[in-house]
Order: sequence, then C-alpha cells, then structure tokens
Amino acid sequence: MSVTAVDLPVAVRRSRLRRFLRRFPMSARLAALLLLAYILIALTGPLWAPYDPFQAGTGLPYSGASSSHLFGTDILGRDVFSRVVYGTRDVLYLALMSTFVATVIGGLIGLASGLVGGWVDELLMRLFETIISIPLLVLALLAIAAAGPKASGSALLLMGVVVLVYAPRIARMARSVAVDLVTRDFVTVARARGESVRSIVWRELTPNAAGVLLVEFGVRAGYAPILISSLGFLGFGARPPSPEWGLMISENRAALVTAPLTVLAPSAALAVLVISLNLVTDGIARALGRSAERTP
Amino acid sequence: MQRLSPSPEQEPLVRVEGLTIDFWSNDRWNNVVNDASFSLARGEALGLVGESGCGKTTTALSLLGFQRPGSRIRSGSIHFGGRDLARLSRRELQKVRGRRVSLVPQNPTTALSPGLRIGDQLVEAMSVHGVGSSGGERRRRVRELIAHVRLPDPERTAQKYPHQLSGGQQQRIVIAMALACEPELIVLDEPTTGLDVTTQAQILDLLRRLRAELGMAMVYVTHNLGVVAAVCDRVGVMYAGELVEDAPVRELFSHPRHPYTRGLIAAVPSIAAPHRSRDIVLRGLLKRNDLPKGCRFAPRCDFAEGACFEERQVLQPVGEAHEVACRRVDDVGRLTAERISASSYVPLAAAADDSLLDVADLSITYDRRRRFALASRERLVIVRDVTFDLRARETFSLVGESGSGKSTIVRTVGGLLRPLSGRLTFEGRDLAATVESRTKEVRREIQLVLQNPDASLNPRQRVHQIVGRPLELFFGLHGKDRRAGVEKALEDVQLDTAFASRYPDELSGGERQRIAIARALAAKPRLMLCDEILSALDVSVQTSIVELLRELQAEQGIAYLFISHDLAVVRSLSHRVGVLYLGELCEVGTAEEVYAPPYHPYTHMLLSAVPEIDGESVISPAVHSDPGVSSSRPASACPFADRCPWKVGPICDEVDPPWQARSDGHMLRCHIPLDELSRRAAESTVRVGSLSAGDGPAA
Repeated sequence: MSVTAVDLPVAVRRSRLRRFLRRFPMSARLAALLLLAYILIALTGPLWAPYDPFQAGTGLPYSGASSSHLFGTDILGRDVFSRVVYGTRDVLYLALMSTFVATVIGGLIGLASGLVGGWVDELLMRLFETIISIPLLVLALLAIAAAGPKASGSALLLMGVVVLVYAPRIARMARSVAVDLVTRDFVTVARARGESVRSIVWRELTPNAAGVLLVEFGVRAGYAPILISSLGFLGFGARPPSPEWGLMISENRAALVTAPLTVLAPSAALAVLVISLNLVTDGIARALGRSAERTP
Repeated sequence: MQRLSPSPEQEPLVRVEGLTIDFWSNDRWNNVVNDASFSLARGEALGLVGESGCGKTTTALSLLGFQRPGSRIRSGSIHFGGRDLARLSRRELQKVRGRRVSLVPQNPTTALSPGLRIGDQLVEAMSVHGVGSSGGERRRRVRELIAHVRLPDPERTAQKYPHQLSGGQQQRIVIAMALACEPELIVLDEPTTGLDVTTQAQILDLLRRLRAELGMAMVYVTHNLGVVAAVCDRVGVMYAGELVEDAPVRELFSHPRHPYTRGLIAAVPSIAAPHRSRDIVLRGLLKRNDLPKGCRFAPRCDFAEGACFEERQVLQPVGEAHEVACRRVDDVGRLTAERISASSYVPLAAAADDSLLDVADLSITYDRRRRFALASRERLVIVRDVTFDLRARETFSLVGESGSGKSTIVRTVGGLLRPLSGRLTFEGRDLAATVESRTKEVRREIQLVLQNPDASLNPRQRVHQIVGRPLELFFGLHGKDRRAGVEKALEDVQLDTAFASRYPDELSGGERQRIAIARALAAKPRLMLCDEILSALDVSVQTSIVELLRELQAEQGIAYLFISHDLAVVRSLSHRVGVLYLGELCEVGTAEEVYAPPYHPYTHMLLSAVPEIDGESVISPAVHSDPGVSSSRPASACPFADRCPWKVGPICDEVDPPWQARSDGHMLRCHIPLDELSRRAAESTVRVGSLSAGDGPAA
C-alpha cells in the first residue's frame, strides 16, 4: 500500500468577514455610522444644501441661528450651514486622498527598504528620521513656502504637503514590519527562487503588512483633517472663499463672542470627524489584531 | 504538611477520574480531554504519549491545577495527595504548585528570566514557598541543587545569567528549580524536544538518576516514544483526548494492543532496523471536529466495524496492569498478522552514476561586525573545508548537532549565502555564488524546502498562489495551464486538488509541508535541498512524508541534499551520509557503512545517544560524561578533540587528523586506526546492530 491520499478535513470555514465584524467594538460601529453620514453629506450635499456656499448676503451678517439659516451667517452674510456641508467635501477628499497616497508611497518604500537592507536602508531611514525630527507644522509651512506663492492654496500642493509629512512616518512603520517579515522562511524561499525585490514586496510582504498599513492609514487619516485645517487657519491652506473648515474658523474667529456658531459649527464638524475616524481605526486594529494572533 | 489520606503508602499519589476538559474557541466549547482516568503511585514515572493535539499536555498541566484561560473542567476530579485540585481555590492551589507538584516546561530559554542570575531565580522559587529559614540556608541549598543536576562549579554557575548557559545547561537549571521545594511530583512537558540528541541523552540520564536519588513521581509528556522507553515505568497512550491504552513500558512496546498504539510504534523510524516492514500504517489525520460518537480512533482504524463507530470505548484490563480501550482488542493481533504481506515499504531508487553537485573545500564565515567600528571585523568560521558530491537521483544527508553548520551549507548551495572559499559545481558547470548571479535554469533546478511549514508558506496567499508562483516564474504559465500545473503538483504530493483554494492556516502541519514540497516540485527541480523538513511533524506524518520523498525520487529522479539531526530518519532515506561536527566533515560513506563499525568517535557518540523504543537503552559512558559542544571552536587540530572519549593524546590537539579510507566511498577522519575503532565500538555498549531485524510490534 502506498501512502494514502490525505483526505479533506471538514473545514469549518467561517467567513472571515463575519469573524471580523463580531470583533468590531460597539464604539467603532457607531463611529462607522457617523463616518458613513459624512461621506453621504460629502457626496449629496450640493443637492440639498439650502444656499450656494459662496453667495454673499443670503441674510444679515452674523445673524444667529434661525429656520432659514440653521447655523446663522458669517460676516459676508453667507450661510454657515451650507458652507459646512460643502466643506465636508474638501476636507474628506483632501484628507483621505492625501493619506492614501502617503500610505502607498511610504508603505512601499518602507517595505522595500526593510527587504533590501544595507546602505540603501540606512540612507533612507536616516533621511526619513531627519524629516520626522522637524515639527509637523514647521515642515508643512517650509514646504509651502518653498513651493512659492503661485502654487499656494492649490489642492495639489496641500496633498503634497500631507504626503511629505506622513510618508516618512508610515515608511518607518512599514520598514519595522518588513524587517520582521524578511526573516520568515517564505521570504527566504522566494529569495532562493530568485524573485525580484518588486515581486517580493508585492507578493510576499504587502499582503502580510496590509493589516498594519491599514491601521496606519486610519490613524493618519484621522489627523490629516487637523493638519489641513491648521494650515487653513494659519492662512497657508485653502484660499478664501473656500468653505474649508480651518479657514472658516480662522475667518470668523473675531466673531467668536457675537456669533459663536460661525466658529463652533465647523469646529464641531471637524471634531466629530476626527473622533469617528480614530474610533473606526481603533476598532479595525483590534479586530485585526486578535485574528493576527491566530495566524502568525 | 497536611495529609488527608488515611494511608499514604497504599493510596496513589495522583488519582484522576473521568477528567473532561473543554476549550472555548470561536463560539463554542470544544472537547479536548474526555473522561480520562488514571492513577500514579508515589515515585512512579508515567509517560503520556500521542500525536500533537491529543490533549496530553492539557491532561498533564491539570495535575498542577492549571487551566488555560478559556477552558473549563466539565467534569471529573484530580485527586492529589487526597485533595481534589479541580475544586481548590487559587490561593490553596498556590500552596500545592511548585511546592508539591512542579513543572518543567518545554523551552528552557523562555522558562528562565533573562535578567536575573541563576542563583537568585532558584532562591526565589524557594522563598515563595517559605522553604529554608534564612537567606544563607537557601544559598547553600542553591549550590546543592546545582550540584544535583550535575553542573560544574555551583558557586560560579549561580552567579551566571541564563544566556551564559547552553540549552542543555538551562534545562538542567529549570529541573533544579522544579526540584527546589522537594516536590512529590514533577510534570515534564516535552523537556528535551528542542535539544540535540547527545544533550537529550544526558538530560534523560539525569532524570533517571534524580528519580533514583530523590524518589519523586514523574509525569512525562512527549511525542517521542524512544524517550518514554528511556525514563518511564508506565505509559498512557492518548488519542483525541482519550486514554486508549495504559501499560507498563516494556509490555507496551513488546505487546502493544490498541491499533493506534501499534500504528504509532510502527511509525517510529529505527536505526537498528531501518527497512522493517510496517504492518499497520496510521493513515489520515486526527480531525477534532469530526469525531464519531463511538471509538474516536475508528475513522483511522483499519479494523473498525460498524459498532466501533457507535459504542464508546473505555479502558478494559487485558493483562496485568495493562488496559486497552478497544472492543476488538482480541482480534487485532490476528488481523494484523494476516496483513503482514501488505508491506508499505518503498525501496530507495538506485542513484545514477553521474555527479550532479560537487562541493569542494567549501568554507563559510559569518562576519560579526562590531558596532561603531566598521573597519574591524571578526570572522566566525562556520564551515571549514567541506568536500562532498551528490549524484543524480541520490539522497545525501548531512547529520550533526545544532551549530554544526548543516543549514549554512544548504543555504550556500541554495545561493543565499556567499562562501568564503571553495568551489561549487552543478551539472559539470561552476555554480555562481549568489541567487542573483545564477541563471533562471539553475535557480529552477535547485529548490529549497525548509523546516517549519508554518513559516515557509505565506499565510496571506492561497495554496494555488503559493504553488503556482514557480510555474509562472520559470515556465511563464498562466490561466488554464497554470491551474493544471498546480493540480499536477498537488497530485504529486497526494493532496486533493480542492486544497488549491485554501489558506495555509486551514491545513494541518503535514499538509502544509506537502504544500511546501509541491511548491518545490512545481519547478521540476533536479536537486531539492531539504533543511530539517521532518522535524516539526508528528511521527506518523513523518513516515508518510519520507515515503512520499522516496516515491518522488523514483518517479522524477530528484536528488536530495537532506539535513537532519534525526539519525533514524536519515538512515531510512539516504544513500549516503556525511557526519558534520563544528563545520567539518568527520565521516562520509553509504548509510550502511556509516551506521556500522568502525565509527568515527563522534558518529559513535551520536548513535549511542539516540533513545530507541526497543533494547535496553543503555546510555554509553561516552555520552554520559560528555561536556557538550563548546560555543567556540577549540584551538586544537581535531575539532572533536575536547569532547572525544577516545582521545589518543596531544596528537589530537596538534596534528590534523588524516582521512582514512575503509572502502571506496567510506572515509573517516581520525588519528585512531580503523581496526582500533572497530574494537572500541564492539567493546562499548552500543545497541546498534546488536538487535535482530524483526523487532516490529509482535502480534
């Protein structure tokens, strides 16, 4: 008798998604709903927003909350509610896009750097550490200043700044994951097969680092609106008359006492967004973390 | 100390009754130990054996009143010295654990705290339980304990940190710690699994001596039947959480009754009888979530009838102190005898004459670069002037203890390490040093399979991605062709093609190793480098993979460069063997020649250290007084000189030993003449070759 074929185990194949959802904490579920609401507002806002966000004189300047102006109006008599709704678009789009780009670029550089090692790794990491050592806002302002007044205020420049600030941090994270992964035997086997660096990063490392990178993306995306709004507040981000929240807060800060809603509304919108993003990320990290324990 | 039992002499020390333990996983309780009952007399040594996942460790740890988080004792009792550990509070358990029952875990490196001195850790073990009245008394006891476990210079050893000791020495310290409070019972959970054979032999010898001196009882958990034969009085065989056979050790190995026990014993490779026919083959796997309501072994049993699946089997006495849980126990012997003709033995294919791989004067170093001093490098020689060749369709095995450089050689042949010097020739052409500088063709023809299938398969790739990658890379196959190639590779390793869509974590260890082999096969290699590919697997799975390798060699003409520390497995699979010590070859020859006298002194030591299930398992004095492998290579000319029991004199330290040829292919490197080596081998108590071949389980 030769070796008998190993028969198939009755696999109790539990849907991975279901297992993931069961571990997803309640706070994160609520936050996910909120986030969904933000995305809906961003997508459909222009269809139902009561006023054009740029139209001045929809009411008296600094009029308080009323049925026609839910959050009142600003100094030019623009409807604050409509501006906050339109601003969701800018903030979400900018924050998510730029963080996504930063995660992809930073992640791939970090993984490759950890895999290649040697002087390439050494050089890249020292460079990134130098960038990280510069305070966030200072670096962002430097980059904006370097880009010159022409580019100032463009969405592309803002994205570039966020990428510059976040990519090195994500790269370091990805590298530390890669350094651990490259000692694993499946990478050794791929090397012995003569796979290229690109192929090993893409096929062997990325799927295993995906969980960490996803969490990293979430955490960064949670702070990106703050960075973008800070720049707006300082006058280096979006240009007036953009309804970007940081810019709104900055423009209306003089009226904090007389018309508090003009400042509070965009602030609250920003705060709720940042907290929801963080809670969701935290939930993903937890749900992934435990299943990661099961599969080394 | 409280003794509740009326007469401690007659009452067994431990009485486990109907112990049933469940683990919570995902969303329900899974049964892990079912209705296990056994007892242990004072001073008795019980071995618990079975394949991985059979519940042996859980059962043994319950003797410490330990319950893994997320587990429950559904029913049953664990009486220890008259008290039921299952009912004791944590506070009361604390008084029993360490004091009256202690544990020796598997991995000594993680069992010792890395930041504390050995002596302090031993003192802590005592002071927690209030043993010893003063610090001075405890310190004295520490020295005594270190001497007990036969470590040199107790005073200085107590001052050392764990990382300053070797693995074997660390395990001795863990044993000393377990002994610190003079417990009545020691639970040992695979204490020698990570150790070299020679170190293992010493630890086993130590345990036997300690038991004779101190008279404590032992529960020894292991999957290695040879180890059980060496230290235990009685053996309990577990399957799927149930005890299926309980017998005195000699009785069990000479007259196993349960079909599972028979299969388990038959699966153990033997040095003495490498080619014995196996009458029972353990087929299939333990599937915990698919157990019948009757005998749990029935789905894998060759003799199962309809009733076996329905009736639960409990231990029934079949002889003196021998109990078996099998309703067909009286028929099994007869039925087995009738099946003898159906031998599963696949003979080794004949090797071709032409050389495939030539390794000449290979030396490999690791650069140990000092921090902050880029210029000054310390060279650590791992492999020195190793020469061997491998023919097509041949298996050449390298054996040796850890640190002998076996894996380093394999990695160098695989192009992952650059050698310091030496020449590699593959198919008559120079083999480039690194993977990057090798042609695609050469990379395809040399494939690597590694030890641990958990680590060598990407957990985020499905099987078809894993196995399909070499097809894409080397043959440019896509779509349908690629799928056909994957199916072919899976069939080659005898797995169902439905496995293609699974992830590695949905497979068992043996299945994963088959996938790793399938990935190598997909490249259609001429040479497969096998680095300890069996050591992470259960013995029944090992056997089936060994047979798979033999079949593949016969069908596809693949040559294997096989690395192992398991001498029995090596013998059953190899045409030729090279024995490696501290990076130097000391003996090369055909398997028959190397495993028969005259031996190189090191080969002799390795062979006599292997515990076998048959024979009297005499541990030769050579092994017993062996100081162990030193971490740095001694300055002497013969690397083995400082450990050699047959050392001739200063010549060993000063002059390189010459290669002595016994036959065309058999060479060994020693100052002692061959005749003298033969004579010495005959004198010492080596069991190899002294046994008849027909030592399979008697019917």
